[in-house]
Amino acid sequence: MSVLLLLAVMAAIGAAGYIFCRGRVMAQVGGNPRELHSLPGYYGWNGAIMATLPALAVMVVWLIAQPLILESRVVSHLPEATAAEPAARKLAMADIRRVASGLDLAVAGGAIPAQDVATISPGEVRARLGTVGVALGSDVTPETLAAAITWRDQARSGLIGRSVVVILVALAGLAYALMATKPDFRARNRVEKVVLGGLIAASTVAILTTVGIVASMLSESFEFFGMYPWTEFFFGVTWSPNFSGGSTFGFLPLLWGTLYITLVAMLVAVPLGLFAAIYLAEYASPRARSVIKPLIEVIAGIPTVVFGIFALITVGPFLRDWLAQPLGLGNSGSSVMTAGIVIGILNIPYISSLSDDIINAVPQSLRDGSFGLGATKSETVRQVVLPAALPGIVGAGLMATSRAIGETMIVVMGAGAAAKLSLNPFEAMTTMTVKIVGQLTGDTDFGSPETLVAFALGMTLFVITLCLNILALYVVRKYREQYE
Amino acid sequence: MNDMRIVERTVDTHDVKIDAKDVNVHYGTSHALKGVSVAIPDKTVTAFIGPSGCGKSTFLRCLNRMNDTIASCRVDGLIALDGEDIYDRRVDPVQLRAKVGMVFQKPNPFPKSIYDNVSYGPKIHGLTRNKAELDEIVESCLKKAALWNEVKDRLHSPGTGLSGGQQQRLCIARAIATSPEVLLMDEPCSALDPIATAQVEELIDELRSSFSVVIVTHSMQQAARVSQRTAFFHLGNLVEYGETGQIFTSPQDPRTESYISGRIG
Repeated sequence: MSVLLLLAVMAAIGAAGYIFCRGRVMAQVGGNPRELHSLPGYYGWNGAIMATLPALAVMVVWLIAQPLILESRVVSHLPEATAAEPAARKLAMADIRRVASGLDLAVAGGAIPAQDVATISPGEVRARLGTVGVALGSDVTPETLAAAITWRDQARSGLIGRSVVVILVALAGLAYALMATKPDFRARNRVEKVVLGGLIAASTVAILTTVGIVASMLSESFEFFGMYPWTEFFFGVTWSPNFSGGSTFGFLPLLWGTLYITLVAMLVAVPLGLFAAIYLAEYASPRARSVIKPLIEVIAGIPTVVFGIFALITVGPFLRDWLAQPLGLGNSGSSVMTAGIVIGILNIPYISSLSDDIINAVPQSLRDGSFGLGATKSETVRQVVLPAALPGIVGAGLMATSRAIGETMIVVMGAGAAAKLSLNPFEAMTTMTVKIVGQLTGDTDFGSPETLVAFALGMTLFVITLCLNILALYVVRKYREQYE
Repeated sequence: MNDMRIVERTVDTHDVKIDAKDVNVHYGTSHALKGVSVAIPDKTVTAFIGPSGCGKSTFLRCLNRMNDTIASCRVDGLIALDGEDIYDRRVDPVQLRAKVGMVFQKPNPFPKSIYDNVSYGPKIHGLTRNKAELDEIVESCLKKAALWNEVKDRLHSPGTGLSGGQQQRLCIARAIATSPEVLLMDEPCSALDPIATAQVEELIDELRSSFSVVIVTHSMQQAARVSQRTAFFHLGNLVEYGETGQIFTSPQDPRTESYISGRIG
């Protein structure tokens, strides 16, 4: 029985649980819901939950455990040397799985009759599987074939076992729920507890993902720092990776490029976004606001690669021809300025939207108080509304900064990929994110420092943005209650 | 009405400070204030009483043109401050509000320090030449608002950290710091407890020596305690206006009598 079919059966048992439990409790009180502890629907939901949830848990555990158990069983077919060496064992297992699934396909496609599978000779496997579109790189060794056949048998019996166990658990859960269903059973509390569990699980997923990302990056980073001294990484001023060996990974040019481009971006985004927000929140008529706000937010919907094109063919040449060359600051179309300005424009809607919400949250009574003292609108905005909204605005700015630091595509197209340490904003530079992409694309060997440096960069980038986010949270928390 | 404390009711001067003639206010299509004419004397506390929605707050907000900030609001009629029409084209509402200060129902101190709250008005109007003068204004206003002793040691802590009654007195100090000629108070005690209310009422009585005070209140006892003149509003009309003692003891209009004896409202 496939997983999908099994899920359908479980859903059916769950639906039955709902109907039975609800019907049973209604019969017990003679159709008068006032004598029940909870609404009749809660008894039904309790039945459905008890029938499906434990069964679902068993199924998930089975799905995870089965391959592990199978692996430990077939490993005896492999030669001692292969089984002892983790990398070779991994490869052999992949082969076995491939042959086993090939055999399944061949049986399903009719290329091999089901009863012949056990007696098939290793020499003909490759040709026979080829006819159903399963291409094997080399001839199958007898050990691999034997292991694959064992694997296949065990997997089939596992499949049957899984279906039987899961359905039994579902039915047991249903029976338990039916027995528990009495008028004074607190079904509502039980159902709400399960819902609470679901809510907690949902919030945990996000946290666990972050933990997982950090863990995977940490292990790879440590591997990198095992090959390359950390002092040279963090304090080196030359970045020249060389895939044939002898690389230097000085991180400072990348950090400088990242910070420089982010600084330019924020110098563009913060004033423009903030002024737009002040206009929208304080001066615009409702009609103007209803037109302008969505128009600004359109920017947020433009893919960054389109912004990259804009940087590459419009902003870059414009800055080169009208500023950099006349001022004698260089003749590169790709520059910190180009990428910074375009990233800044990209971030305007984030700042304006968030700041607009924050400014609107400042109580009207504060504005009235200021007007009542004879302040003009502009004085009120500058001296009362903005100070009150400041923590939120700082938070919005830091969030936009995090986004700017993480931006990749616009940097590649607008600022180039040369790691340089220079003060001239009209020179091409690059950022950490661009180098991460650069080190990981193409044919890569995950054992070399040239590739692993990407994880060290990623980890550092993560720490930087994390610190910024924590700072944003701290600022917002510290000043939040000022006008409440 | 037995607890009514009859305060000194003699009006010191009889100069008319604000003269309103036939004022009508419309919010969109609804007619909120119908032909109100009132002459508010100088150096007097004038109370506006009446049931909710009777237009007393609307009229108060006409006196410093706070209604200008409401798009759908339309005011006609004549309101003159010292004989000058405040709705005249040449009058800047911002300048007017510096002369006609306002204290609101809910204390609304700015999220700044106590000192900055009080110095806000003098600073934006450029009333002082140096820091010492500003300090002097802040101190004298806080003293007038009977708050100085409580806050003199923490002038630079946030105004929002004060208690409700202290916050309201801070707002009064802030309003008198621009040295206005008229002080409008929109139910200044409705968010305060009885002790804070008593303090603010005492303060209002003292302020009478320097300003003309107009107070909107829901509490008839409060009107009787603090005011010399009382105006009774009902359904957008000014029903009766006169000396406070006379309004409360021998009202001329049956509606006023019903309201103060608790039959309508």
